[in-house]
Amino acid sequence: MDELKRLKKDWQENQKFPKLSQFEIYKFLHKKSSSLVKRIFLLSLIEFGFWTFISFFIKDNEAQQRFDQYQMEHFTIPLSVFGYAILLYFFFLFYNNYKSISSIDSTKGLMQQILKTRRTVKNYVIFNLVFLYIFIVIGLLIELNNNPDVVMLTAEFNSSGDYLIFYGIIIILTLIMMALLTALLLGFYFIVYGILLKKLKNNYKELQTIEADTD
Amino acid sequence: MKSRNEKEFVRLIEEHQNLIHKICHLYTKSNTDHKDLFQEITIQLWKAYPKFRGDSKFSTWMYRVGINTAITLYRKSKRRIQILSFEDVAYKVPQSESYVDTEDQQIKAIYQAIKQLNDIEKAVVFLYLEDKSYKEISNTIGITEVNARVRMNRIKKKLINQLNP
Repeated sequence: MDELKRLKKDWQENQKFPKLSQFEIYKFLHKKSSSLVKRIFLLSLIEFGFWTFISFFIKDNEAQQRFDQYQMEHFTIPLSVFGYAILLYFFFLFYNNYKSISSIDSTKGLMQQILKTRRTVKNYVIFNLVFLYIFIVIGLLIELNNNPDVVMLTAEFNSSGDYLIFYGIIIILTLIMMALLTALLLGFYFIVYGILLKKLKNNYKELQTIEADTD
Repeated sequence: MKSRNEKEFVRLIEEHQNLIHKICHLYTKSNTDHKDLFQEITIQLWKAYPKFRGDSKFSTWMYRVGINTAITLYRKSKRRIQILSFEDVAYKVPQSESYVDTEDQQIKAIYQAIKQLNDIEKAVVFLYLEDKSYKEISNTIGITEVNARVRMNRIKKKLINQLNP
């Protein structure tokens, strides 16, 4: 079959395709970078849903009901609104990171975006921790001034002159609670985001070696 | 260590990428499908790379993994890799064209006819076009040498029938 022989000749001589660069091939293997950033965005939404669910769950407990009686809404509501606004801003940043990383077509661009995403997650964790501390301190101050049992106890220590011991104990207990909550929250974030961040870091290192090769 | 392996792998793929392109060209119709299959073959090669011990040439190993991936995808999802319908490949060799044009048309027609073959037949033709021996064809596809010869003869007849209805 002469046609097949001609085809064979044509096949070997004329089969030329656009040459892909190492970076483009690398991107095939590391489509995961963009899917990791997408997962970070989705996880942040799931996490938000999780905490919202938890807050509804504890809404009717005794401590919450007592806290509601202090009528501190003028203080707690603006604080919550501020917190939600910042969270929305972070969701926007996560989404933006995902959108940006999907359309990047250079090693340097991808590396920069990975760094940016890691920075956003770190800032998000720092914000959540700081916000938690603010809530704890404010909650403590409200309790100290409004809880009848605590007010009575404070008066007793003040009258006996041992108020320094009292406040010392309060501060130490608060610090222990903060440390425990910090460990708990960091552990939670390590499981949720830490593994993804580590994978992103590995991708970043591999990109560095490719970048070094092409320079 | 892992990243060094990866670097070496990416370099090898870059060097032998034309081979993957040719498989994609044979098994797909659109550029998008071509790119998808290229990516899938690269990923499968990467997954199988730890098992590549260097007993055979990298390109020989690529043929095997690449063709198997194309065949698997071809069977799994005919929606993803669009297959030409018979009507699509209906053609007429223009009689009044110059010799070069006629030859060009004929080659195009054979390409189209090859795209009509089934997955294994395509693999046989592909390796035949790559100038592989029947022994190499049989080793790559996992059939006997006799079977490879028989299949190639059948394919030739099939192509003749399609080209001269």
